[in-house]
Amino acid sequence: MRRTAARPPAGAMAGAALAVAAVAAVGVLAVPAHGAEGGSLEVYPYSVEPGGRVTVNTKGCGEKAAAAGDASAVGAGPFTLAPSARKGEAVGQFRVPESAQPGTYEIVAQCAAGDREVKGDLVVTLMAAQGQVQPRGSVKTGVGGALGNDPVRTAAGVTALAVAAAGGTWLLHRRARGDGI
Amino acid sequence: MPRIGNTAIATVTVVAFCSGVWLLYGGDATHVPPQPGAAEGVLDPGGEGLAAPALPPSPPLRIRIPSIRVNAPLIGLGLTESGNLNAPPAEDKNLAGWYEAGTTPGEKGTAIVAGHVDNTRGPAVFYDLGALKKGSTVEVDRRDGGVAVFTVDAVEVYEAKDFPDEKVYGAAERPELRVITCGGGYSRSTGYQGNVVVFAYLTGSR
Repeated sequence: MRRTAARPPAGAMAGAALAVAAVAAVGVLAVPAHGAEGGSLEVYPYSVEPGGRVTVNTKGCGEKAAAAGDASAVGAGPFTLAPSARKGEAVGQFRVPESAQPGTYEIVAQCAAGDREVKGDLVVTLMAAQGQVQPRGSVKTGVGGALGNDPVRTAAGVTALAVAAAGGTWLLHRRARGDGI
Repeated sequence: MPRIGNTAIATVTVVAFCSGVWLLYGGDATHVPPQPGAAEGVLDPGGEGLAAPALPPSPPLRIRIPSIRVNAPLIGLGLTESGNLNAPPAEDKNLAGWYEAGTTPGEKGTAIVAGHVDNTRGPAVFYDLGALKKGSTVEVDRRDGGVAVFTVDAVEVYEAKDFPDEKVYGAAERPELRVITCGGGYSRSTGYQGNVVVFAYLTGSR
């Protein structure tokens, strides 16, 4: 009898389960949302050859904006992210060793203030920079909309027409008065 | 008091009317963007000014050319199907772009920036590019918080049918920048026939 009484009704159980599920769902959603508000580590270039230099920056380390970077996944070891000229942003650099193998590596930075950790991916590829596609030919960067549109010229034209209209009116006025036309 | 003669008034009226009509409707291509003079096209003897040490790669955010009052954000540009560099959207007159798959400005190699000389409503971001002189400064704000400072060493205009791809886009041993806009001859049927190209190289950073 006592055990039966202690047991919550089936409906309440279902409600509690729903609540737990809801909390879990919010938790899951909260992670990417947190990352989206400038919390990730931006890696540039995203794809690099062995021996290349990489710049990383993050807005995820708050006002102090300094962090300890770790690129040991790719064999480059620790590096420092210092506050950059842009407020609330930390920036650091490292060089990918010549011995690095192609693949995707996680670069991590530990914020100096708080216990926040930000991460970003770096792809090491063997494709040489010479393989970079170079544009060719001219660039379509104009339509001719600036032509014949000179505001000074337009103003001069309007003024000249106004003078002509005034002169014409004056002449007509004189003729109407019989002033010798 | 002597009266002004009717003939004088009539003459002024006719002259004013004719010049007004001509100013408003006459003349073709009267308001052409500035084009570089021949002197701006000559690279320094020996060709290679001493460049500042290359910066690590970092995407550009903004370009500033104080002498022609340019200060515009940069967006990433790709290539068209035919391999030409895409232009940024023409609607925004104060917008330029950079070739995203290429070198970042300040890094060793040739970084490429392009922007419109005009759009359907009038002059755009690089309208005065052709008026730029050798020795002028071009600054690029980078995402790493630094500023790459370039010095112009040539301003050229090239016809599209004979475009020197290698000279404009080819790899460089020092950190270089090209700033490109439309220029050259203009006809109403074909538009601008070429490009104004500014050649600059890295001389500092901060």
